[in-house]
Formats: sequence, structure tokens, C-alpha cells
Amino acid sequence: MHNSPAEDGVEEECCSLNSNPSAAVDSVLGQSALRLGLGVGSSQTPGPDEYDWSSFRDDDILHQQSNILEEEAEKMLCVGEKEPLSALAAEYQSGSPILLEKIKMLSEHYSGIRRTRGDGNCFFRSFMFSYLEHILETQDKAEVYRIKSDIEECKKTLQNLGYADFTFEDYFDTFIELLDGVIQGGEGSISAKELLQKCQDRSYSDSMVMFFRFVTSGEIRRRAEFFEPFILGFTNGIGTVDQFCKTSVEPMGEESDHIHITALSDTLGVAVRIVYLDRSSCDGGVLNVNHHDFVASQDAPEGGNPSRPFVTLLYRPGHYDILYGKLPPSLSLSLSLYIYIYISSESLMALWRRG
Amino acid sequence: MMDVSRVQKELTECNKDKGVSGVSIELYEGADGRGSLSHLRGTISGPITTPYEGGTFKINIHLPDGYPFEPPKMQFITKVWHPNISSQNGAICLDILKDQWSPALTLKTALVSLQALLSTPEPDDPQDAVVAQQYLRDYPTFVATARYWTEAFAKNVNTGTEEKVQKLMEMGFPEDLVRTALEAVNGDENLALEKLCS
Repeated sequence: MHNSPAEDGVEEECCSLNSNPSAAVDSVLGQSALRLGLGVGSSQTPGPDEYDWSSFRDDDILHQQSNILEEEAEKMLCVGEKEPLSALAAEYQSGSPILLEKIKMLSEHYSGIRRTRGDGNCFFRSFMFSYLEHILETQDKAEVYRIKSDIEECKKTLQNLGYADFTFEDYFDTFIELLDGVIQGGEGSISAKELLQKCQDRSYSDSMVMFFRFVTSGEIRRRAEFFEPFILGFTNGIGTVDQFCKTSVEPMGEESDHIHITALSDTLGVAVRIVYLDRSSCDGGVLNVNHHDFVASQDAPEGGNPSRPFVTLLYRPGHYDILYGKLPPSLSLSLSLYIYIYISSESLMALWRRG
Repeated sequence: MMDVSRVQKELTECNKDKGVSGVSIELYEGADGRGSLSHLRGTISGPITTPYEGGTFKINIHLPDGYPFEPPKMQFITKVWHPNISSQNGAICLDILKDQWSPALTLKTALVSLQALLSTPEPDDPQDAVVAQQYLRDYPTFVATARYWTEAFAKNVNTGTEEKVQKLMEMGFPEDLVRTALEAVNGDENLALEKLCS
């Protein structure tokens, strides 16, 4: 419907979306049609009898669609429990051998996975939990201090861009509160279990997703010149930075791509590793599990070898989950050495006692 | 739960510069004279150089419990002839009131977007198929109808009666004559003036 303006004698100026005849744009047009409230169907010419009915159609379809999505999403917690990597392999037991092989390779470096809800917010939820869990485990106060000053900057960016404070301040507060909470010994300190509960709580979790969406959007707009070419590539040349932020970053449920991840990683100064699990294979038939590190640009100029990102996510086409690395070799070695010495001394003691 | 404090801040912010923006929001007062923050009434002025120029359009606003995560429900109270607004019930077809809503938007930005929608109809994505067909096939008739509807429905706003009385009295007409004239023409200030002068 949307793609056949000529039949209806549509004047070009009334629908800018139709001005590009390229076939590649068709899929985008389809999406835009959906975004415009699913009104595509009602542009068919209904008879006078159907008229009333058609004026309610939009809302009905949208309502039904959101119900279906909601129903699907609720089958999975916002952030799930940690599972061993074997749970992932089990999923593909009767599936692609390439994937099974890749999962086997993954298990050399990674030990577990934590799933997130597939509602379009999975990247932000994965990032949120992975980051906060890391802070809780390491009690890295210097990192908290650092990210807080970056968050302050984000706030100023949004204010400079003209966002009213009340639209974002609550979401910022929610994240800061949790950031303070995971540092132990304070009044509002929370345990790992409580962290998980908060991240599973829909309203808490959604508030934090909005925090991330705001800082991501702020960063893209602040560095519009840098992001513009990527956005043009992403939207087949028809999107502006402002449009992209309004339609693909700020609304809940809009999926994240390289652009979002780059912006978020840059603005918060947190490196992210994305491990790709798909059916692609190398030419020589040698399988490889690819990964890409998003190194925060503010860390880059200092040179040297950037440390391995502690936020590691598993990407399967259309979805992100959290990936848990195995203990680094040096640490696991010293740990086993320690256990060995401990056990030996125990047995020596036992021998000594017996003797 | 609806974020009450945010809604209060939004009302203050929106009404701060209503003279400039041409949009405002007030509490909807029920029959008992009491308002609630989940039921509001927005007002937008028709954009200039459009068939809606000079009109004042009222919009019914319902805030769902999930606001601002869920979009506000908006519907025109004032009858409008526009491809994206139902001529029957005032239902609006606008992406940001549906799946493109974001908590980063506000009631004010939504009303400003409605104003923009009045300026640039999207007949390919219509709410009202009849109006859209007319817009596409017979644009001059569309403009004339839209202008007529603006005159008929968007200018006889009862709330402004006292102001009109005041204005006509300032021109030197006695109050009782002004009131009778206004009543006779159903509140249209210009027609009342014609009547008073004749």
C-alpha cells in the first residue's frame, strides 16, 4: 500500500518516505509503515459501510500486537539466573552442527551464560546487570567514582541538548542508587541476590533501560558528526541523527546495534566485548568464534594494551545475553596451587598425627 | 503506577510558555468539579497558513497507569477535517502516540507534534480514509472543508465567551446587546460584530 503511490495519484510532497524509489528502501518503508501506527491497512479504500470499523482498526491491531509481544516477553525474566554453558548447547542439540562446534569452542574461554528477556531491551539489560555485578564482585570504588563523573557529564549533555530535567532525572537516580548499593558497607548496600531481584523487577529494570537509552541518545546527538555516516548506512541513507535517536534509541523496545553499543561504551567509558554466535564459517572451513571489543574512546588515546573488557555479551542474531568468562589462567593456576598446597599440608598433618 | 510528580512538572513546564508554543494543558474537571492527574485536557492553536489557522483545538488526554512508559491516550474533542484524525471520533494516527512513544517525550512535545501534524498531513497513512481520499483526489475541496470545519467547530469555544463580551464592550457596545448578539450567532465574535453594526 505504502509502496504504490502512483496508483492513488499521491502528491510527492505529502509523503517524503515515498520519494526514494530504490528497492532496497522497501523493507525500511515497511518498517516505517509499522512505526506510523500500522495505519497501512486503512489506506485501502473501504466501502462506506466499513468506514466506522476502519477508524478503530489502528488501535486494535496495535493493542493486539503489543499483547502478543508482552505475552512472549513474559515467558522470560528481565534478567535470568546464571546457567552453565552446557545449557546453551542443549538448545542446539538437534540444530546446526556449526553452532554446536562453536559453542564447544566458546566453552574453552567461557563458563556460563545469563539470559535476558528478548523484548528489544536485551542489550541494555545485559550491560546493566553485567556491569553492576562486576562492581559488586570487585568492589572497585575507583571505577564507581569514575563512572559517576561520566554520568554527571551525560546529564549536562542532555541539558545542553534541551531535554527537560524531569524527563531523565529519575532514571539517572535509579542507576546511581544501584551503583551505590552494590558497594558494600553503606546504608543502602545490596547483596548479589538483591541486585538480581532489582534487575528483574519490571519497573526498576525499565527505569535503568531508560537511563541507558538517554545516555546513548545524548552521546549520539553530542557527536552527531561522527555518528551521522553510520546512521546513514544503517538507514539506507534516509535517516537523520535526530530521527534515528527518536525512533531507534529513545523508545523502549527498540533493538540495539553497533551504533548504540559504540555510543554507550564511549559515553560511560566502559569497554564491551561482544562474542558472535552465528552460523558463519571461514572460507577454509576452519571455524572461529568471532568477537569484537568496543573500547571506550576515552581510554584509547592513552595507548598501551587495553585490558580485556569485563562486560562480555553473547550475541546471537537479534539477541544479547551475558557471557561469563572462565577465571583467567594466572588466577586459576594460583588457585589450584593454593588448593594443592592446602590439601598436601592437610595430608601431611594427618600422616604426622597417625605416625 | 503513574508517575504523579512527573505529570505535575510537565503541566508547569508546558503552561510556562503557552503564549509562545500555542499549546497548553489543564486538568479535566469532572462533573463533581474535581480534577485528576490522569485525565487532562490539552489545547492547541491551529498553525498559521493552514486551513486550521485561527482555530483552537481541544484534546482529551488520558494518562495510563504505565505513563511515561506507556504513551498518553489523546483524542481530539474539537471536530477536525484532517486525513490523520477521525472526523467521527477524533482518534489520532500519529506514531509517537503509539509504538514510537518514549519517556523522553512529554505531553508538551506530543501536543506540539499534533500541531505539526495539522501542518503536514500524511494522507498515505490515514486515520480517516474518506478525508484522505479527498485530500489526494480533490485537494481544493479538502482545504475548503477543513477551513469550514475550523470556522464551525474550532472557533465557537464557549470558554472564551467572557473575553469576547469584554472585547465587544470595549468597542463601545452595551453589555446586554453584546450578549444577545453573541448568543444569536452561537458565539462567533465576527458574526456578532456584524450583527451589532447592522
